[in-house]
Amino acid sequence: MTAENTETAENWNDITTLNIQNLGQVREANLTFGDLTVLVGPQATGKSIALQLLKLMVDAGQVQAELARYGLDWSGRLPEFLDVYFGEGMRSVWRPQKSSIEWEGKKVDLAQLARRKRKTKDESLFFIPAQRVLALRDGWPRPFTDYTPGDPFAVREFSERLRVLVEQEFGATGDLFPQKRRLKREFRNLLQQNVFSNFHLRVDKFRSQKRLVLGAGEGADALPYMVWSAGQREFVPLLLGFYWLMPPTKVSRRAEIQWVVLEELEMGLHPRAIAVVLLLVFELVARGYRVCLSTHSPQVLDALWALKHLRESRTGPEALLNIFEAPHTPPMQRLATSVMGKTVKVYYFSRETGRTNDISELDPSAEGEGEAGWGGLSEFSGRANEAVARAVANAEPGGES
Amino acid sequence: MTFRQALEKTPHLENAWQAGLGALRVEDRPHIKAEDTRRLRGSADVDKALQQKEPHANRWDFGIGYRHTNRSKECVYWVEIHTAGDSQVKVVLKKLRWLKAWLAGDGEELARFEREFVWVSSGQTSFTLTSTQLKESAVLGRQHKGRLLRIPNARPA
Repeated sequence: MTAENTETAENWNDITTLNIQNLGQVREANLTFGDLTVLVGPQATGKSIALQLLKLMVDAGQVQAELARYGLDWSGRLPEFLDVYFGEGMRSVWRPQKSSIEWEGKKVDLAQLARRKRKTKDESLFFIPAQRVLALRDGWPRPFTDYTPGDPFAVREFSERLRVLVEQEFGATGDLFPQKRRLKREFRNLLQQNVFSNFHLRVDKFRSQKRLVLGAGEGADALPYMVWSAGQREFVPLLLGFYWLMPPTKVSRRAEIQWVVLEELEMGLHPRAIAVVLLLVFELVARGYRVCLSTHSPQVLDALWALKHLRESRTGPEALLNIFEAPHTPPMQRLATSVMGKTVKVYYFSRETGRTNDISELDPSAEGEGEAGWGGLSEFSGRANEAVARAVANAEPGGES
Repeated sequence: MTFRQALEKTPHLENAWQAGLGALRVEDRPHIKAEDTRRLRGSADVDKALQQKEPHANRWDFGIGYRHTNRSKECVYWVEIHTAGDSQVKVVLKKLRWLKAWLAGDGEELARFEREFVWVSSGQTSFTLTSTQLKESAVLGRQHKGRLLRIPNARPA
């Protein structure tokens, strides 16, 4: 391990809290971040607002600098700033006199944040938004300026990052996936089996226009963006995000980046592909990034529930790898061992109360709102089981229905 | 016929009826919560009543009678309070098979009621709502209810 990456999440893992009151749909959210933090809850309950707010708390100076660099001017006024940062119309999330934010125990004056430019312009949180599929147009990443001023900063920023990555690092035509210097061999194999189905992702030229295409190998016909499966379109921007976070050098991570936000990792993916992406998230955590996810996939909480119990019963790393059907090679064993030592927090955003519940115990027998049904992710399964059990019990001879 | 009358006609359970949740062991009572306790129609400790007759069988724990607001007849909740670990799934399924066989024989009077077969966890639960184990249980007619069975006033459709 190099000096650059000796600093792991534990070093900055002093308890970090974000408390939100009356912001958008959130009435009260009290979030304490672990090495891995997962937000669940129905649509439009404030998960994305909370994650974008986290980015703003961590990277206010960088956000301001980027917006200014691309000619966006909010004249120091909070409503305009909220519109350019969260997206058009989002000024209404902030309710003067009612909304409040505390970051690391200190009250944040958002109006002052919008008014005063910060000196530091460093970025320490990398945000992979749910709308990542928009980052590619006709198979090539869109620049920041290709969006309208009303589009959320997180989407524009992510898109720009991919453009720079692809143009600078993969400018010459060649394979983006699989690539020996990118990702562990085990991950490449898992992705090949479960996402790309032996296709290669490469840069190609159509007339004079560069584009990303899929192909079955050297000399095979190129499959342009429009014929990719929905899952492949969703996954490619995500893959490029992982590439950016895991540089092709001996340095295991980007030292300046402490946090990673990944919204809805499951988007468009089959459960087998979700399993690989979740394992890649574990890789980020093992490399020392502090990762925050939002998800609608019960599979993610299944995995975290298993992780908790395997840790408590001091099981070896193989048991965790078996869940993902991952090979028991030394690098993967090191990854699993590392993840089993990390802290995981899970929060449920309730539509009914507008509040967050800490459901990190993931107790299937819990009485608290949202915990047994894992924030609604497995409630449907529970009701299906119950309906079938009741029907079967009373359909047998002797049962009157 | 009421739940109590059916018990009185069932071999070895003639005297098993207790008012409310009285037949349940004291430590098991917190696992059952009736929305309206006045609608409880009594309970019976099946396990204890049949211990001498079938000492080696995987006997089911309790039967609880309840009169729902949307039913003219009583419903029987057959409740097993048991640890909910993976290794116990097969044990509880054996108990369910025993209960069904018993209801088809000596317990025939009790088989005439609407019913639910419910496994209530006595401690931690080590499987999830999406697990295959629960699906396997469901197709045999058994529900798992976490640590607490709530008996609602109105019976779900």
